Amino acid sequence: MSIQKAAVLGAGVMGSGIAAHIANAGIPVVLLDIVPKGAADRNAIAEGAVQKLLKADPAAFMHPRNAKLVTTGNLEDHLELLKDCDLIIEAVLEDPQVKRDLYARVEAVRKDGSIVSSNTSTIPLQILTQGLPKRFAQDFLVTHFFNPPRYMRLLELVAGPETRPDAVTTVEAFGDEKLGKGIVHCKDTPGFIANRIGTFWIQASVNAAMDLGLSVEEADAVMGKPFGIPKTGVFGLIDLVGLDLMPHVSKSLQTTLPKDDPYQAIYRAPELFKRMIEEGYTGRKGKGGFYRINREAGKRKEAIDFKTGEYRPQQKVELESAGLKHPAEVLGHADRGGAFARAAIGATLAYAASLVPEICETVAELDAGMKLGYNWKFGPFELIDRIGVDNVIAALKAAGKEVPALLTLASGRSFYRVQDGKLEFLTIGGEYQPVVRPAGVLLLEDIKRATKPLAKNGSAALWDIGDGVACLEFTSKMNSIDPEIMAMIQKAIGIVGKGMKGLVVYNEGSNFSVGANLGLAIFAANIAMWPTIEESVAAGQATYKALKFAPFPVVAAPKNMALGGGCEVCLHSDAVQAHAELYIGLVEVGVGVIPGWGGCKELLLRAIANKRRPGGPMPPLAQVFETISTAKVSRSAEQAKELGILRPTDGITMNADRLLADAKAKVLALAEGYKVPEMQKVRLPGSTAEAGFNLAVADFHRQGKATKHDVVVSAALAHVLAGGDTDMVDEIDEDRLTELEREAFMTLVKTPGTLARIEHMLTTGKPLRN
Amino acid sequence: MATYKAPLREYKFMLHELFGVEEVSTWPGLEDATPEIFDAVLEEAAKICEDVLFPINRSGDEEGCTFENGVVRTPKGFKEAYDAFREGGWTSLSAHPEYGGQGLPHVLSFLVEEMICSTNMSFGMYPGLTGGAYNAIAAHASDELKQKYLPKMASGEWSGTMNLTEPHCGTDLGLIRTKAVPVGDGTYKITGTKIFISAGEHDLTENIIHLVLAKLPDAPPGPRGISLFIVPKYLDGDGGPKRNSLACGSIEHKMGIKASSTCVMNFDEATGWLCGEAHKGLRAMFTMMNTARLGVGIQGLGVAETSYQSARAYAQDRLQGRALTGTKYPEKPADPILVHPDVRRMLLTMKSQVEGGRALAVWIGKEIDKSKHHPDPAEREAADDLVALITPIIKSFLTDMGSETCNTGMQVFGGHGYIREWGMEQLVRDARIAQIYEGTNGIQALDLVGRKMPMHMGRLLRRFFHPVDAYIKEASVKPELQEFILPVAKAFARLQQITGFIAQKGMSNPDEAGAAATEYLRFFALVAIGYLWTRMVEVSLPKVDGDDGLFYRGKIATARFFITRILPQTNAHAAAIMAGAKPVMEMEDAAF
Repeated sequence: MSIQKAAVLGAGVMGSGIAAHIANAGIPVVLLDIVPKGAADRNAIAEGAVQKLLKADPAAFMHPRNAKLVTTGNLEDHLELLKDCDLIIEAVLEDPQVKRDLYARVEAVRKDGSIVSSNTSTIPLQILTQGLPKRFAQDFLVTHFFNPPRYMRLLELVAGPETRPDAVTTVEAFGDEKLGKGIVHCKDTPGFIANRIGTFWIQASVNAAMDLGLSVEEADAVMGKPFGIPKTGVFGLIDLVGLDLMPHVSKSLQTTLPKDDPYQAIYRAPELFKRMIEEGYTGRKGKGGFYRINREAGKRKEAIDFKTGEYRPQQKVELESAGLKHPAEVLGHADRGGAFARAAIGATLAYAASLVPEICETVAELDAGMKLGYNWKFGPFELIDRIGVDNVIAALKAAGKEVPALLTLASGRSFYRVQDGKLEFLTIGGEYQPVVRPAGVLLLEDIKRATKPLAKNGSAALWDIGDGVACLEFTSKMNSIDPEIMAMIQKAIGIVGKGMKGLVVYNEGSNFSVGANLGLAIFAANIAMWPTIEESVAAGQATYKALKFAPFPVVAAPKNMALGGGCEVCLHSDAVQAHAELYIGLVEVGVGVIPGWGGCKELLLRAIANKRRPGGPMPPLAQVFETISTAKVSRSAEQAKELGILRPTDGITMNADRLLADAKAKVLALAEGYKVPEMQKVRLPGSTAEAGFNLAVADFHRQGKATKHDVVVSAALAHVLAGGDTDMVDEIDEDRLTELEREAFMTLVKTPGTLARIEHMLTTGKPLRN
Repeated sequence: MATYKAPLREYKFMLHELFGVEEVSTWPGLEDATPEIFDAVLEEAAKICEDVLFPINRSGDEEGCTFENGVVRTPKGFKEAYDAFREGGWTSLSAHPEYGGQGLPHVLSFLVEEMICSTNMSFGMYPGLTGGAYNAIAAHASDELKQKYLPKMASGEWSGTMNLTEPHCGTDLGLIRTKAVPVGDGTYKITGTKIFISAGEHDLTENIIHLVLAKLPDAPPGPRGISLFIVPKYLDGDGGPKRNSLACGSIEHKMGIKASSTCVMNFDEATGWLCGEAHKGLRAMFTMMNTARLGVGIQGLGVAETSYQSARAYAQDRLQGRALTGTKYPEKPADPILVHPDVRRMLLTMKSQVEGGRALAVWIGKEIDKSKHHPDPAEREAADDLVALITPIIKSFLTDMGSETCNTGMQVFGGHGYIREWGMEQLVRDARIAQIYEGTNGIQALDLVGRKMPMHMGRLLRRFFHPVDAYIKEASVKPELQEFILPVAKAFARLQQITGFIAQKGMSNPDEAGAAATEYLRFFALVAIGYLWTRMVEVSLPKVDGDDGLFYRGKIATARFFITRILPQTNAHAAAIMAGAKPVMEMEDAAF
């Protein structure tokens, strides 16, 4: 069975977010909430929720038109809309009675075989099914999403003793393949995995920071990088989720956890926090949190001082332990940062180790929960391995703490090992078992463990991913495109060309590529090494051209950011298989240049080939001009199609773990009777179009919408897109277009305005509006 | 005897023909700095330097400063010379009119300073240090303090000093121990010992204003915890000036600049005022240091000029043997030694680097004025960048060159150079300190590769590389310039490569940058001067047959010498740099 239609009951932040994301998967969804007292519009809550979703930042919908897939209504008049729903997700008030009453009403209308789930984060499943018929208990499970549902990858599933197995597998497949979530099976215990450990970790960290006299900034700095925890640390994270939520979560855990659970002993509610909540300092959504930006003091960054309870300017962290790279070094450091890490992380790791198999069957599931739910780079057991199991045991003993049985079991070993190229984890029985990926998931991470690369250099590698398909992986810092990546593309063309079927360009970094390495470019420009810069532009053009005209299919599989030179790789591929979360665009104007590795040319060719555009020579040019000159970046793969960066035929994969497999399948499909594309020729209007664009930009400049240097950069772009000194009578080919790009690039890179933009971007990370 | 005539013709060439200095009078605040003013000021300065300072240079060296009961006496004639100097208005040349200064351009005071250093480097220390202290107070102190101190410092009635170094630390000022304790009335009690304090105590002025680095009680450790204080020798008292509780403990006995007092200064709860913000002393200190570093570079230039002029005169007068190719001056009993290739080589080595170095200094002097007065902020920023980039090069290259030139000058004199009465060995001794103080030349090289090169992603480099690159393109197509510009272009391309090499290597291993630093700085200087010599040729070529043809023909021949005989030193520097840090770093410490 598959889910063809779904419903979400409760249109609060979580419910409406889940509904939006189901719509993102292309599945119709009913969204119902209660009838507000005395309201004229009985659907006001659900309808208002959809309006809010459309304005949400970050966006809840991958495309605004997805909102049309959401049918709104209320729980009194429209329950019969559930009749043909395959999955009904309840996300109403965290009150067992309210939920059970609703279930009883749902039970009356839903069809046989449909599945009901609850998004509860605190109420045990066994309480939710109390007093409900067997049919309900068999069709019921907990589906615990994280906020915001579109972006947070974790989906915790809890099945009850009576839940039928195929209901679980159906929801699992739906969550994984359609919604793109990482599924983690949990036992029916309070807080499941992620919040159980996460709440403990936050409390332990808050206690340790206050007891040991660390500042907000110090605690977050020590907590961050070495432990693979996002740089928000603890206090930054509380600001993000809302300080006012903390008492709710902790209260529910206090009431549901056993009295001897270690959490009960460490629970504290500092007076300062109470006061902050009362006064509305609840975090980013409130007047500020532990951090705030003081707009009255010229956007000064400030943080709360624990001693005074007042804001003060943010301080640079001087702790030596905060600058260390390895977690073991931090834990062993003598300064108060080290003491803080020992207290906060040490306790959290021990707590996690004591919870298997209480809350889940395996250490791998627990790790997955923390990685997907809290964006930790390493799960608790992976962290223990990095520190060393025996080191952790020794530290616990030295601190007079109890050593969990699972740690003792692992003594002298590690929780994970690689055996015959396969990743294995330690079971609670003390044996190692392979980590099994869901069917159809192909990860480069696993391939890299099992095989040696076909080729490798400092910034890229080439892997054999089976069935005659190779994968080109970027490995440079932030996957920025540099000469070594160019060299590897050339090398890949040679290797794949000799008897392999095709190539996937893919990596498992946090972003596909942030664009060209500007640090190299600006330094070369500052010392006037113009021939070197021009050669690197020409080399990039030649490399991307070779990729496009390679004798085998090339499929790019980008995820998250694919900017500038990273976008241009995708544009030169035969097809793209994109992760749904794709932020792709030609952003070069932000640093005062234009796309110089064939990006202008490729986007232009796509626009001209688009049959749905209005006729005449100008509309495609105008579209491309707007896209590039305003550095448009898609906010999803769907939107990238609208921008003309992806083709209508390009594929979208919801689950990042399935992206490589889908891209590989696409290569194999294209490899059947593959024909190398032909060099295209186009007719462009030349100076008339150029003049038109320049007039328009001059107008924007007068209106204050374009800066002085925008005018310079746009003029260079206009010259390229118009085809240079051509007119509609002449045909020009792709090489002429890239030559124009190169000339324009070289002109711009010599201007002070462009150099100032690059410098500003590299030093501040933000574009300069000069 | 050492001979000196102010090179006024040379100055006119630099200012009016090479750098078009009339441009500065188009910038707000410098309207009065017309070409006529430049020439008039330089002529007057030449007079006082030649007539007043030069005659007491040798005697000052012989006599030195004396120290007795905490009192320092400058050599005979110095007080009178200082009074004449002060009354002539020479202490206030580039000081702001608001404080009684004349507000003249820096590029002009650079050349006046050169003449002072040429004629009496020791004497120049007293007004020179006052200038550094003046700048620090002007840039950082409160208005009240500025009003109190700057007018009298500009007029030269009061002098100034910089108290940074302590017995246990010089380069690493984060380690200083001098303490400043707030009294509560806005003043501080300063306690500690400072050493190597030039002009710390003397009998030339009625008050001495010490700028002292010290730590406040709540100071964070390291260089972020130092503050700058104004501590005058005399305080205002009810019945007139009252002695502050500070004293000179002794003066140093040193190799050269003997007429400049180098003092140990003891502060014993001396009363001081905070100059600038608490704990921000390092920044204030850099204001002093930047001016001072350029000033030290000018010292190297000035002393070298005197050595060259003296050696030239000696080589023309001294008759010994005959030219290798046969008699050149049959009317004389022997040919002057000037006919010998090796003597000519020595003189041209001196002349080409002194004049090339001066071109670099005048260029940067004008850029300082641009950075302060140009109406366009982008131009000001660009000029400021260039000054910051070239400052360590001027300090280091001009003082190394100064020292080498004085040694070469002594060589031209043979045995007469080594004995005291000719004055050539004094120049060697005087010039030597300039390579050491205000940050040793090794520190300057580190400043260039470690701070200036990576600053703003290499933006400072742009201010040099872009105009030079553009000039090379332009000059390369002019047939008459090719013999000059092509070797410069080649060296410039090499400099680009090496800059990229050091930037890249230095990022992963700072020792790589450190090991390359000194050679890199010298390489950079040689390319810059090669570029400037080509420009000087371009200016000179059309004038070789005119009234002053000899001057211009001399310029072109000197340029040819520099380009063919000095610039190739870059090849050796390049080879050393490309060898990397390993040959420098691999030997075990114990094997030294």
